[in-house]
Amino acid sequence: MAGAITTFPTKVATPRRATAESPLVKAILLTVVLVFFTLFLVLPLVVIFREAFSRGLPFFLKTFEDRATLHSIQLTLITAAIAVPLNTLFGVLAAWAVTRFNFRGRSLLISLIDLPLWVSPVIGGLIYVLVFGRQGWLGPWLSEHNIKIIFALPGIVMATTFVTFPFVARGLIPLMQAQGHKEEEAAMTLGANGWQIFWKVTVPKIKWGLLYGIILCNARAMGEFGAVSVVSGHIRNQTNTIPLHIEILYNEYPNTGAFVLASLLSVLALVTLLIKTYAEWQAERQLKAAASDPS
Amino acid sequence: MSITIKNISKKFGTFAALKNADFVVEGGELVALLGPSGSGKTTLLRIIAGLEFADEGKIFFGDRDVTQQSAYQRKAGFVFQHYALFQHLNVFENVAFGLRVRKKNRPSEAQIRQRVEELLGAVQLRDFARRMPSQLSGGQRQRVAFARALAIEPEVLLLDEPFGALDAKVRKELRQWLRQFHDTTHLTSLFVTHDQDEAFEVADRVVIIDKGQVQQIGTPAEVRESPANEFVEEFLDVRPVHA
Amino acid sequence: MAVRKHILPGFRFTLGYTLFYLSIIVLIPFSALFLKTFTGGWEHFFKAVTDPRVVSSYYVSFGIAFIAAVVNGFFGVLAAWVLARYNFPGRRILDAIVDLPFALPTAVAGIALTTIYAPNGWIGEWFTYQGWIGQHFHPDSPLGGLLAGQEWFKNNFLGPKGIKIAYTQIGVFIALTFIGLPFVVRTVQPVIQDLAVDVEEAAATLGANRWQTFWRVIFPAILPSVLTGVMLAYGRAVGEFGSVVFISGNLPFKTEITPLLIIMKLDQYDYAGGAALGFVMLLGSFVILLISNGLQAWDQKRRGLA
Repeated sequence: MAGAITTFPTKVATPRRATAESPLVKAILLTVVLVFFTLFLVLPLVVIFREAFSRGLPFFLKTFEDRATLHSIQLTLITAAIAVPLNTLFGVLAAWAVTRFNFRGRSLLISLIDLPLWVSPVIGGLIYVLVFGRQGWLGPWLSEHNIKIIFALPGIVMATTFVTFPFVARGLIPLMQAQGHKEEEAAMTLGANGWQIFWKVTVPKIKWGLLYGIILCNARAMGEFGAVSVVSGHIRNQTNTIPLHIEILYNEYPNTGAFVLASLLSVLALVTLLIKTYAEWQAERQLKAAASDPS
Repeated sequence: MSITIKNISKKFGTFAALKNADFVVEGGELVALLGPSGSGKTTLLRIIAGLEFADEGKIFFGDRDVTQQSAYQRKAGFVFQHYALFQHLNVFENVAFGLRVRKKNRPSEAQIRQRVEELLGAVQLRDFARRMPSQLSGGQRQRVAFARALAIEPEVLLLDEPFGALDAKVRKELRQWLRQFHDTTHLTSLFVTHDQDEAFEVADRVVIIDKGQVQQIGTPAEVRESPANEFVEEFLDVRPVHA
Repeated sequence: MAVRKHILPGFRFTLGYTLFYLSIIVLIPFSALFLKTFTGGWEHFFKAVTDPRVVSSYYVSFGIAFIAAVVNGFFGVLAAWVLARYNFPGRRILDAIVDLPFALPTAVAGIALTTIYAPNGWIGEWFTYQGWIGQHFHPDSPLGGLLAGQEWFKNNFLGPKGIKIAYTQIGVFIALTFIGLPFVVRTVQPVIQDLAVDVEEAAATLGANRWQTFWRVIFPAILPSVLTGVMLAYGRAVGEFGSVVFISGNLPFKTEITPLLIIMKLDQYDYAGGAALGFVMLLGSFVILLISNGLQAWDQKRRGLA
């Protein structure tokens, strides 16, 4: 490390390891990343909470007395209460199918599960309008029988379900793949049936990944904007979810109630990230414990 | 109870893992399945347990044809190479698992407790009942795996490289323990190993397998004195130099 | 009797349910999209997708998204490196917050970014004629005088108070950068973590300095994952709606994005037109997906994972 010593002749500190950058480079990289993160991640969060409380706590609380606001919260909760359990069931079964068995078309199926992540959310709404909308496939039949799907709760639920169905499955698939299925096989040789294997062996192994998947699915369901915009029709007190109501409040009276509601969803997002971090830490620990072999 | 392996063949894609394996493990015998890695011995053991299914052939436990039965119906005691203990359950619950998942005539809580404690005593782990698997040494884990497999009162015991992951000293101790255990219970047992010392020291008979085919079956003395073919001769000659 | 193939139970049930669910929620609605696209006939389809206003929205949705993805590629690699290799107080928090754009509702991000970059916002202010950056663009200053003569600059970026960020293509770029940020970091980070340090040590013993080691050893090793991450970020940004519509101002021929035009067509009950635009977007996304899948396969093959 002669180079390092001649560069910093006054320092007697231990020479830098060959696989580390110089402290100066390190400091520059760290600064650039911190500035980038501050601009793009921290600042938006700060703005949301600042604006939400800029008129004090009384105003913050008063936002929730508005009937349209309360209705939007109620609608969002109902939507999530339907979409999240459906997608949880789907996610668990799909993850079991693709990680426990080998079959033709398996990788195609995995790509299909990812579909909502690479198509525009607006398309997620569009497809349902094309089926159920006034001039869609089933439109005439539906209006004849007086069934409302588009511009009503069923359409909102469907669009939300579509946009959020990958999250539980995607959280579980890599985890279950990494864990393998030795323990499930052991349970089988001990006489456990499929149901018992699932509840007594698999669920304890995947519970943190599963929890994160559900929480993320929930956060996305409550926050979905694009797909729901298309099918909702923006009818106040009827088909406005929280994000749609945020849009209306923002356009009508900027910098007020919109941010109060936004801060609510931001807390949800932060809790989601917290659980993710914890779940990852748990999963890592589990894998390490399973791999450790102090014989 | 005897294990009959009848004409078992298995392919993975185009690779023939097993070709017409055909032999019988008599009731009460302790047999070693010996062969180099990749010879198909573990595949055969997994087929017997119902963890893999053969393309052709049949498996009998005694007179019972188990070929189409799932692993959880066969109830062969199986000891995994890397133990496969349930990481989220403590030692006691790992051993009790097979009793708790029983649908028909599940034992009472008191019976389960008694049975598990008995087994933990037998494997000298009575004081470790509340430990989690991650807090045990390799040898201790392996003994938990034994106790767990025995808890369901299996008619046959199948062991996949049971000592493979352990260090030399522990391996020797467990070997002797297995032999003693077998001498007292006479539970029909088949174990897979790539270590001929282990096979010869513990087993009543040895089945030597290579490239998916059984090369020779016999007592350790028979196999050593009159190798059936060139492969066996060579395989036995190249004795690994180790403690 | 048929030979049994699957060891663990539940194959038929789990796969059956998965396919059933996907058919209802994905396949049937998407077949409606394909059929509806062409119900108006080729002519209508062609007219809908080549309308000048629509074409200019492609430049925004596909073009600006690409620039944002490339910028994310650069900063994403830096962030992944710092998070994977350096130990500093707050690293865990920084690591957790990377996923914020993934968890934060897009509409919330949209109004937050707009507030920051509007002329009276914390950063937007800097670009007004009173701001420390914007003052250099005042028509009386040398640079501002030069640019004030440029039509494209005046049309796109100048407002009464100075340079505009929100309600211009720069604003769209900022929103799309935000939305794509996690993808590069999360794709590259595990690859950097898996890099064997001994290879770097080998390079050092052979006389390579840190910079050479980076360019000749590390960079080639992470390049496939960087490109994959960029394509994932691009794919996400192309279809983005919520965060963009607030900050873009939705000016036709300038900042209007294709998804917004789909919604406008639907509002006018032009289902075939909306479907046609949806079809084009889907096609674009599909190409991006194919490229990123190809890159992923290449990456895994090189790392010996497949």
